[in-house]
This record gives sequence, C-alpha cells and structure tokens, in this order.
Amino acid sequence: MKKLFLLIFLFSVGTYAQTCCSGGVPLSNNLGLPNEGKGVFVVGLNYDYNNLNTLNAGTEKLDDNSRQRITNSVLLNFGYAFTDRLSVETLFTWVNQTRTITQFGNENFTETSGIGDAVLLIKYSIPEILGKRTLLNLGVGTKIPFGESDILNDQGIQLTADLQPGSGAWDVLGWFSASKGLNFRPSATLSATATYRFTGVNNSYLNNTATYEFGNEIQTNLGYTDQFLMFNTLFNPGLIFKYRKAFEDKIDDFGIPNTGGEWVFIRPELGAQLTPQINMISRVELPIYSNVVGTQLTPTVRFTIGVTVKLKPKQTNILNIIP
Amino acid sequence: MKKKIIVLVCTGLLISCSSSSNEDSGTGQNSNNPPTDSESGSGNVTWSIPQSQVLDGGPGKDGIPALVNPNFVNIQSINYLNDTDFVLGFKQGEDVRAYPHAILDWHEIVNDNIGSVSVAVTYCPLTGTGIGWNRILKGKETTFGVSGLLYNTNLIPYDRETNSNWSQILNESVNGTLLGEKADLIQLFETDWKTWKALYPNSKVLSNNTGFSRTYGISPYGDYNTNNNRFLFPVPKDPRMPSKERVLAIVDGDDSKAYRFSSFISQNIIKDSFKSKNYMLVGNPNFIVSFELDANTEELIFEYVYNGSEILLKDNEGSEWNVFGEAVSGPRMGEFLKPAPAFMAFWFSVPAFYITDIYVN
Repeated sequence: MKKLFLLIFLFSVGTYAQTCCSGGVPLSNNLGLPNEGKGVFVVGLNYDYNNLNTLNAGTEKLDDNSRQRITNSVLLNFGYAFTDRLSVETLFTWVNQTRTITQFGNENFTETSGIGDAVLLIKYSIPEILGKRTLLNLGVGTKIPFGESDILNDQGIQLTADLQPGSGAWDVLGWFSASKGLNFRPSATLSATATYRFTGVNNSYLNNTATYEFGNEIQTNLGYTDQFLMFNTLFNPGLIFKYRKAFEDKIDDFGIPNTGGEWVFIRPELGAQLTPQINMISRVELPIYSNVVGTQLTPTVRFTIGVTVKLKPKQTNILNIIP
Repeated sequence: MKKKIIVLVCTGLLISCSSSSNEDSGTGQNSNNPPTDSESGSGNVTWSIPQSQVLDGGPGKDGIPALVNPNFVNIQSINYLNDTDFVLGFKQGEDVRAYPHAILDWHEIVNDNIGSVSVAVTYCPLTGTGIGWNRILKGKETTFGVSGLLYNTNLIPYDRETNSNWSQILNESVNGTLLGEKADLIQLFETDWKTWKALYPNSKVLSNNTGFSRTYGISPYGDYNTNNNRFLFPVPKDPRMPSKERVLAIVDGDDSKAYRFSSFISQNIIKDSFKSKNYMLVGNPNFIVSFELDANTEELIFEYVYNGSEILLKDNEGSEWNVFGEAVSGPRMGEFLKPAPAFMAFWFSVPAFYITDIYVN
C-alpha cells in the first residue's frame, strides 16, 4: 500500500512537470527541516511550481492574462543535528524560469535555467520553553549567490534580474519557528514560522554598469496540522495561512516602481509518513489577498511536492561488544 | 541510501548548466502578426548599436501592447486627464488628434491611420520622447510593436512586417533585415492638456477604452518623470542640465542641439543656425515648436501672436500660421513651414545618443 502512495506522488510530479514551468525561488518556503536528534542526517527533495498569470494594480485584478511567468524549482535540503538542540541545514536549488507573452495571436517565450542560489542555516531548538509540548526554534543563515545572474538570451541580450536563476548577492536570513501540541487533541499541532530576509546587493548587474538589490522580505506562516491513520499509514493534513511582504527592489539604490507588495495565501497540505524514515508532503498555495505596488503580475497558484528522508546513525549495541 | 543521495546530487549537477532560450511563434492570422524568427531573421544578432547595451526591459516582447487604430472620442468625453498632463498632437487636414501620455505610458506605440497618413506615434516613458514615424516601409504599410528591449533606456520598437528592431531616438533600424533604414519622421506637437483643449477644442482624443485593462492616469513609473536621480536602467548622465528637464532637441546626423524652455522667457521666437541650416523656434512655457527655414521662408518676418487659440505666428505678408507650421489664412494659406527634425525629450536622453550643444541666448 505504501508503494501505491509513493507511485501516486511520483505520478503527480510527472503530470505537473509536463504541463508547467516555474518562477520566484521559494527559499523561505522550504526551510525548516526538523531536528530529529543528535547525529540524524535529513535529506529533503522538493519540486516547486509557481505560476504568475494574474495582473494586479494594487488590490484590483485587471482583466489581462496575456503575461505568464512560471518558475520551476528543484530544491535539495540537507540537515544535520550536531546535538538535540543545535543543527545545520543547507538548501540547494535548480531553477527554470519562463516568461510567455500571448498577444495579437502570437506567443513570445523566454526561458532561463540553471543552478540557483543556496542557503546555509544554523538552527537552535529549545523545547518546552513556551510551556508543555512546545518547541521553539531560532535560526540564522545566509543566502549564497551560487546562481548565475547575467544570463543572456539567444540574441545576446542580457535578461532582467527577475529572470535570472541567481540574485548575485549574499543575503542574511533570520528564521524562527514555534509549535505547540494541543492538549485537547494530542494529534494536533499549532505552529508558526517567520523568516526575514535582509537582501544584499548585486554589484555587477548589467555588465557591471549598475547595482541591483531585491527588496527585503518578511514571511510568516500560521498553521494547524493534525494526524490520522489510514491504510496503515500516518497522514498529516494541515492548513496554513501565509503572509508575505516584499519591499521594493532597488537599482543603483533607487526604488524600482512596480516591485514589492503584500500577500496572504492559504495553503492546504498533506503529508504522509511512508516509513519511519520517509515522509512525503504536497502543498497547494493559493492567494486570498494580493496588494502589489503599482501594476504587477502576482501569484496565481503554487504547487509543491517533496520527500524527506531521515538517516539515523547505526546504533551500537554495547551489550554485544566483546572486550 | 548514501549511494542514492550521491546519485541524486550528481543528476542535479548534470542538468544544472545555466541556459536560456527565446522563441516567437505566430499564427499568421493577419498581416500584423510578426513572422517567426526563421521567417524574418530576427535571430540576427547583428546590431548597429552596442549589443551589450541593449537590455531586456522586463515585460517582454509585446508585453507592453501597442495599439492599432484605437478609438477616439471628443474632448468633452475625456475624464482621465488633468490640465498638466501631456499630450502629443497630430493634424492632417481637418482631422486633429491628441495622444495623451497617460495612454502612451501603458502602450508606448499607437499605430493610426489619419486620412492617407499611416502614422506610428511612438512614446518612450523612460526618455520622455514622443516621435512620429511613417508606417510605410519600402512601399508596404506595417505596424510597430514594443520589442521589450531598451537601448540607453530608450524604446526599441519592432516592425511587424520584417521583425526588425528600431531605435526610437536614432530613428533608424538597428537590427534585422532593415538594418540602417531610416524612419520617415512625422511632425508631432507636444503640450499640456489645458493648452491643447484651448488650441483644438474640436479635436479627437484617444479613448481610454483601448481594449486593455490598465489604470490610465496613474503613471506606471511613479515619480520617474520628475525625480532627476531615479533611473531604471543604466544610461550616461550629462551634468549640464537636470536629467529630467524637458528640452526640444534638433538632430542632424550624429549631432544635436537642445533648447530649453527658459530660453523662451524673454522672447518667443528664436532664429538659430545649426550645422549650416537655419531654424526658427517658437516657444512659451507650455510648448516649443521648431521649423527649418528654407529659401521660400527665410525672408519672412514672423510675429508671435499666440493668445491660446490655434494661431501662433503672423508674417509680414499677412499669413497666419498654426503650431504645426501650417498657414491657415493669408496669401500663403495651405503652405507649410518645413518641420525641423526634432523631438521633445528628457535632457539626459539627448546627449546619450547625440553630440549635443545647448542653445544659449
């Protein structure tokens, strides 16, 4: 039966990959591997599809779907717990971005692909500090500009910053999460996470003729997750509300119009613990409030699917040791 | 399990080489559809301008949709303009039309037919340049679209007949099969809405019912027009004037001469020579127009008689001339002063393209 679920998940990945592409690398969305205890190594692999096909002026949705931006991301996390409290996490990305303009009966398509930026995050866990069955995590990290930020199109024209796989800048990340198991329902958990990204400056933008800085970003999530057993498998359904605020991008330290905004998303998700070591997760993220600065394409739908594998160190059975 | 992880990582690395691609595809439903790259050779990477300075502006090709034969309404129907908003005016016989920046900010090009004239009203919000081009290229009518590319932060239109890219301020094709071809200029007149309404109260004005959903009247570029320090793309700056000061530039070959509004405070008519040609410029706080004086008009003595209505000048023969240089009464009625090769622009954009002198009183 577990193999059946695995097949269903993998089939879902294939279906979406054929029909869609991606945009905006969801670094903040995919941070926060759990500390599974000293010596445990965790690997996560996620596919993220982000479709922007909605044109907004402020909160007003304009009647225009001629522009579409899609970002496909493959995200590979590695986490390792040095102690039950101290752990480290890395996130590597591969990004494929497309821009499609459908206008006057024609279609213009632009695509870039490549390694994206990476994240290194050091985390510290403090259990029970907020009461019984609570866990507080604090983290600090950096985004490393592994990705290219000066890709040319096939005519030799350099593409804009938001079509590049990388940002060309080091960022600093602050990360926080807290969770509490609910007393009235032991299988349920309330959780909250917050990420703040202090963005750095790409000093070699457009052939070293300008600097570019993506806007700082705040992201918070508030969620409820539960558990149920079905087909001898533990499932984790959840419902998360996400708030994101992005500040305006800057070129040569001057703000760029039509960048930045505030969004609220609702994100139903479903996890499945296929084995004690393997978890699968799928999420759909839908905007319920979008307030962009100026006129911008704004997210239409996002879909993520992934798997997390725990690798525990082999237990040494002291009783069997022969002196 | 470790082996599986290694395989995963290696697979990721193998597929991760950065790359990009561009494709155009057309349905070919009408003559305004651009041909595909293979048909037109727009994949041609030969540019007459430095290719490294041609930049992707962000919205993509046709991401800013040019208008084709849009709707016009009378002045009384316009409710999206303030008195200080700028318009570009064009007159062909009795047909007088205004193209407000408020619409052009969002579309940049209007392909219009007025009588026998096929005009492309091109406007770049980032350089403040409004320039009219004849849409007849090599005997065939075309329409222009917005390529999504910029050179010196200035609009690069493309023609849908050959997919060639053009530089607006250079007025020539800079890439594609028409490389080097010059655009025939069509004289436009730029002023504010209040002045235009008084000049041509019976003119037609571009309707905001364009078929596209946009917030007309709200600039997509914030305070870009007035903030001398705000630029969205790298471009050379010339400190001789504030970057966003509006000037009239007369261009000739690689050279240009810029005229400031402040030069028209103490006088409304300036006669000047530039590259061995004589010009007459007429201006006030609301507009500047320019004409080349030739053998037929050089001896005329003009008087500035503008009082808010159509008549701008009166000459010593008794003819009255309007802002388009058309004699509307008197012995020369029906004649035209020769328009100068000129356009209004933000100051920074003129020396970015031309070796530029500034007129000094």
